[in-house]
Amino acid sequence: MASDLLSIGRSGALAARIGLDVTAQNIANASTEGYVRRSAQMAEVASTGGAYRIGDLSLSGVRLDSITRNADAFRQAEVRRTGSDVARGTAEAAGLSNIESAIEQSGVYDAIVSFESSLQQLTQDPVDTSLRASVIEKARTMVGTFQIAAQEMDAAGEGLQFLASDGVTQVNRIAAELARTNTRLSRAADATSDKTSLLDQRDKLLQQLSQFGNIGTTFAVDGTVAVKLGGTTGRDLVVGDTATTVGMTTAANGTVSFDVGGNSVTLAGGSLAGQQLALDKLAQLKLDVDGLAEDIVSTFNGAQLTGDDLDGNPGAAIFSGTTAATMNLAVSDVRKLATAPLNDPVGSRNAGNLTAIRSALGALNPADGMDQILFDVSGTLAGRNVTLGALRTIADTAQVALSAQSGVDLDAEAVNLVRYQQAFQASGKVMQVASDIFDTLLGIG
Amino acid sequence: MSTIYGTSTSAFYERSLMDLTALRKQAEETQAEMSTGQRLQRSSDDPVAASRLRRLARAETIDKIDGAAADRATSDLTLTDGALTQFSTFVTRLQELSTQAATGTLSDAQRAGIGQEVAQIRANLVALANTRDGSGRALFGGEASGDAYSINGAGVTQYEGTATAGTVSLGDGQTVARGITGPEFLDFTSGGTPRNLLGVVKDLADALQTGTGGAAAASAALSVLGDGLASITTAQTVVGSRLNWIDLNTERRITLSELRTEEQTKVGGNDLTESIARLQNTMLVLEASQASFSKLANLSLFDQLR
Repeated sequence: MASDLLSIGRSGALAARIGLDVTAQNIANASTEGYVRRSAQMAEVASTGGAYRIGDLSLSGVRLDSITRNADAFRQAEVRRTGSDVARGTAEAAGLSNIESAIEQSGVYDAIVSFESSLQQLTQDPVDTSLRASVIEKARTMVGTFQIAAQEMDAAGEGLQFLASDGVTQVNRIAAELARTNTRLSRAADATSDKTSLLDQRDKLLQQLSQFGNIGTTFAVDGTVAVKLGGTTGRDLVVGDTATTVGMTTAANGTVSFDVGGNSVTLAGGSLAGQQLALDKLAQLKLDVDGLAEDIVSTFNGAQLTGDDLDGNPGAAIFSGTTAATMNLAVSDVRKLATAPLNDPVGSRNAGNLTAIRSALGALNPADGMDQILFDVSGTLAGRNVTLGALRTIADTAQVALSAQSGVDLDAEAVNLVRYQQAFQASGKVMQVASDIFDTLLGIG
Repeated sequence: MSTIYGTSTSAFYERSLMDLTALRKQAEETQAEMSTGQRLQRSSDDPVAASRLRRLARAETIDKIDGAAADRATSDLTLTDGALTQFSTFVTRLQELSTQAATGTLSDAQRAGIGQEVAQIRANLVALANTRDGSGRALFGGEASGDAYSINGAGVTQYEGTATAGTVSLGDGQTVARGITGPEFLDFTSGGTPRNLLGVVKDLADALQTGTGGAAAASAALSVLGDGLASITTAQTVVGSRLNWIDLNTERRITLSELRTEEQTKVGGNDLTESIARLQNTMLVLEASQASFSKLANLSLFDQLR
């Protein structure tokens, strides 16, 4: 029997010290983001005797087997997936909310209604120049609000594009860091503090990456991760120590598309997907608003042609332009409104053509068209907000479930602290007993 | 919120933070509703209601214009009515003068004197026929912007206006003619022949002033003037019924406007009592959550280990 009581005690004290260190580390990192609770796994050091001495037992104390990270891969994946969805919803809702403000706050709807009502007011006395001036000024206001709406929508689009392009930069940075982390993970020895912190870093980077796009992950035995952008069927973003560059292309209508190393990729989650969706909606809304502006211009100008103005001349085009941004007032002379039918006497109060103009506009019903555009964007946004609320609840639950399992519970750590302290004291006692035995043996004789 | 047992410290804080933030947000939303008096802060809060509110606001704007149009038509028609009353006064006076002139005992010189007064009255009638409305247009000229009647070199009056008076929209497709044109009441039929009041009076004045056949002309004019007066009275009745029509439409507009306002408050307004009750409720839950949070957060095993 070849055991050494003193060295057993020493190994016990050492193990208790490691336990205390791990506990202290856990307490210190109780609120660190991405920190996963560690626990020390101990293993007995013992050997049986050699040949013919099977009964012999050699006890050599305890050793540190490994430092375990209490991370649940499934819950982490859930946090990434749900986080991706929330990021998409948040980005889309934020974009849509800006677009909604751009259209609603520009006051196009109110301006169209004012313009309509000024035309109706003109029927009371078509030759009254102050009423005519009111029509022209209301038209000017309407044109102005269309221009403001176009500018604001462009600004909202530029903001979204900027955010998306920044997101792509972030994705490339995170992918490069992940590739580096992979390299170091493949070199680090198992069960070292270095490896556990690298794994923490890996998981944190994956979580950050999932905020920008939905990802698919494959973990190797050595802890390295292969990442695909666009879900499990997407494009390879990080394989081993190489990261592929993600790019963004902006189309002429302001919509964006993404590619990994030149191969196009479809994102279903993450802020990039949200910004992409918002930009798609913006492009459609811009077409709608431009179409409305163009319709107003052509309808009004067309109806002008069938009448005479206050000086007996055939009506000229009042508006110019074909989009909301280029829409403008071609003439601002109040006498140019063709209210009278063709070839009526100069200065006629006959409102024949004004009625024609109003019925043409009434058939187009621009206020209704604008109302539908507003309803479209606000209805979409309201729907997204409801979805976002649900997604957020799911993501929050996943996050809490993960941190409940992998986070630090201070009460548990307090118990560990007491336990390892007692273990340390006990091991000290063992060493003292060994010393006493030695003294006793020396005292014989 | 689902409860998770054996939770970590950070999960406890995270969950408490989530719950408290949600309550706080809810309280702030209710507060914003109360301070603005509007249930909707932006269209996406309730797209359907927002669209309805936009339509109501549009109807309200159009309605204001209709109201102004009705006021304008009322003032034009009232002016017309006043002018017609003056017309009938003049015609009555002409009837008196004709009766006098028809008497055989008067000398030609006396008739010529009456003839001068008749000529004077005719000038007044022409001026009256050229009355301007509130916006300075000929009241009886239809849609023409100049005078309704002009006098040519021979002293004969000529109508310059259009055949019909313009119409004014009173909303919801209802319209009213803003006035009546000169020919509508100055041209009439007497004894089977079409006559014009201004022409009849001119002929009478001319006949009385020339001296011969004055009495016969005056007695012939009497019956014609009677028909002319009837024509004016008829026109006044028309004007009166139009004014009634406007009143009727104004009443309808006001009723609709009240309904709209009611709907606006119902759709977009905010029930203060309900909001206050909801705010109280939220605040109560928030306070309780805060109190329980601070109690729970103080529970640490470290305090017990000494």
